[in-house]
Amino acid sequence: MKDSITKEKLFSHPIEKVWDAISKAEEISTWFIKADFKAEEGYQYTFTSEPNDKGCTTISGTVKEAHPYVLAYTWIVADTKVETTVTWTLESTTEGTKLHLEHSGISNYGGETAVAMFESFNGGWDNCIDGLLTYLKDEVNAG
Amino acid sequence: MQDKITKLFKAVADPTRRDIFHALVIATSALSITQISNQFDMSRQGVTKHIKTLEDAGLVHLDTKGRERFCNANAKPLKELNKWIQFYEQFWDDSLDNLDNYLNTSKHG
Repeated sequence: MKDSITKEKLFSHPIEKVWDAISKAEEISTWFIKADFKAEEGYQYTFTSEPNDKGCTTISGTVKEAHPYVLAYTWIVADTKVETTVTWTLESTTEGTKLHLEHSGISNYGGETAVAMFESFNGGWDNCIDGLLTYLKDEVNAG
Repeated sequence: MQDKITKLFKAVADPTRRDIFHALVIATSALSITQISNQFDMSRQGVTKHIKTLEDAGLVHLDTKGRERFCNANAKPLKELNKWIQFYEQFWDDSLDNLDNYLNTSKHG
C-alpha cells in the first residue's frame, strides 16, 4: 500500500523555463488551472476551475516551500477539507530538466469525501479526465 | 473517516498481518482463530491480537459459532483507497502532458 504518488518527467527545456511554468500564476493558469498563486512561503493560493452550472471548484492551500527548484504546497479540494501535499522538484540534466512530482497524504481521503469531491470536480476539469471521473463516481456510488 | 484510513494503514503495515489477511482472502470459507494459529504456527493470543487490528480497519469480519470465532476477509476498504490513487495517477499524468505541450508551444523562454 502506498500513501503517495510520484511522477518523473523529462523536459527538453532549460530549468528556468520549467520553473516559471510551475511557479508563476500566469503560466500555471495556461497549462494547469486558473491560479491565484505566488511562489512565496506562506502564500494562501487558490486554483479555480472554469465556472459551470454547479459553480466553481476550487483547490486551495498554503505554499510550504518555494525556492529554486523546489516548490511545495498543501492541496485541499473544496468541500473535502482533506489536506494533501504536492511537491515539485526540478533538476538540471544534460538534455534539459528532470521534473519530480510527489503528491502525498492520499490516504487522508476516505470513501465519503470521494463522493463529495467527484461531485465538485464534475464538469470543472479538462475533458480528458471526465470519462475517468464518471467511472470513479459510479464505482464509489455503487460501492 | 480519516481515522478509519489511519487504522487501515496501520493494519496493512505489518507483514504478518498482511500474510494473515492474504490467507483469509484466498480461503474459500471463513477460517477459525485455531486454523489461523495452526497455519501460522502462532499462539491463539497472537492471532487474536492481529485479527483485532484487522477488524478495527474493517478488513476482517468475525462470526462467533459456538466456542469458535471465524474470520472473513473484506477487501473493500482497500479498494476505496486504491480509487484515490488511481484518480490522482491519471490526473497528474494528464497534467504533466499538458505542461509538456505548453512548454513545447510557448514562445517565450
